[in-house]
Amino acid sequence: MGMIMSDIGEKKLGNEEGRWINLRLIQESDAAITLKWRLKDRAKFLNTGSSTEKEQADWIKSRPSTEFNYIIELKSGEPVGMLSLIDIDIKNLHAETARFLIGEEDLVKGVPVAVEAMKLLYQVAFDKLKLKRLYGTVASKNKLMIKWQKYLGMKEEGVLRQHYFINNEWQDAIALGLLDSEYFEGALPKMNRLINA
Amino acid sequence: MIQETAVLEVIFKALNNLNDELNDSDKFEVNENTCLFGANAELDSLSLVSVIVDVEGDISDLLGHSISLTDDRAMSQEISPFSNVKSLLDYIVVLAVEGA
Repeated sequence: MGMIMSDIGEKKLGNEEGRWINLRLIQESDAAITLKWRLKDRAKFLNTGSSTEKEQADWIKSRPSTEFNYIIELKSGEPVGMLSLIDIDIKNLHAETARFLIGEEDLVKGVPVAVEAMKLLYQVAFDKLKLKRLYGTVASKNKLMIKWQKYLGMKEEGVLRQHYFINNEWQDAIALGLLDSEYFEGALPKMNRLINA
Repeated sequence: MIQETAVLEVIFKALNNLNDELNDSDKFEVNENTCLFGANAELDSLSLVSVIVDVEGDISDLLGHSISLTDDRAMSQEISPFSNVKSLLDYIVVLAVEGA
């Protein structure tokens, strides 16, 4: 493994435990279920991915050491979604949040799964890796996700014009960012209230 | 003084906006008994936040001052404001009366 994994290893990073869900590092054995999720209509805003289970397993196996790819699991162990921290840059102390997808929508109704999953990812980034900044892009027509990310603390930082080609049309990407101070002062308390309500 | 019917209209509008964004299989019926969050809920937490953002914005416009539906008080209510549409309506009316 490269330098980042070594550094991360020293910090004993791995699975993350929350009140409602856990984040578990993705494994090749998750290929079938993650492929099923990625082929759903709900995943239309993500980049096009694998089309076979073999391709998905190869993709999982080939993840670089600058990424943490997680499966979101209910406390029962049932996998319900995925999300990632990618392009972790330990020199400039930033990383991108990506590949956020709830695949088992009926299992997460009424439970703050999405909020706690994002909180645990932020916890990895800001508490454990001591990053200064997180960023990400969301397709401009993914209004629910943009609204959600902003409410939980992300700030809109710009627009990347015609950045995505989704469903046979070009869409802008909304660039979002969150600083460590904004996380500790605003996002974290708000997330905790939603999780503990 | 804010009218209950106006508040209900705001909540229904937020839920209908949400339905517009959802896939057909995820759409749900909107009425006073629609369960928002907790047992038998129609919404996941991503959808709940969408409703909160829209309702907070529109109610704040109606009242002329901002309100928060996710502060400590809201989240410590014996009956969660997000149990269903009626409980959210009742909570907002309380906030409105106090702020009048």
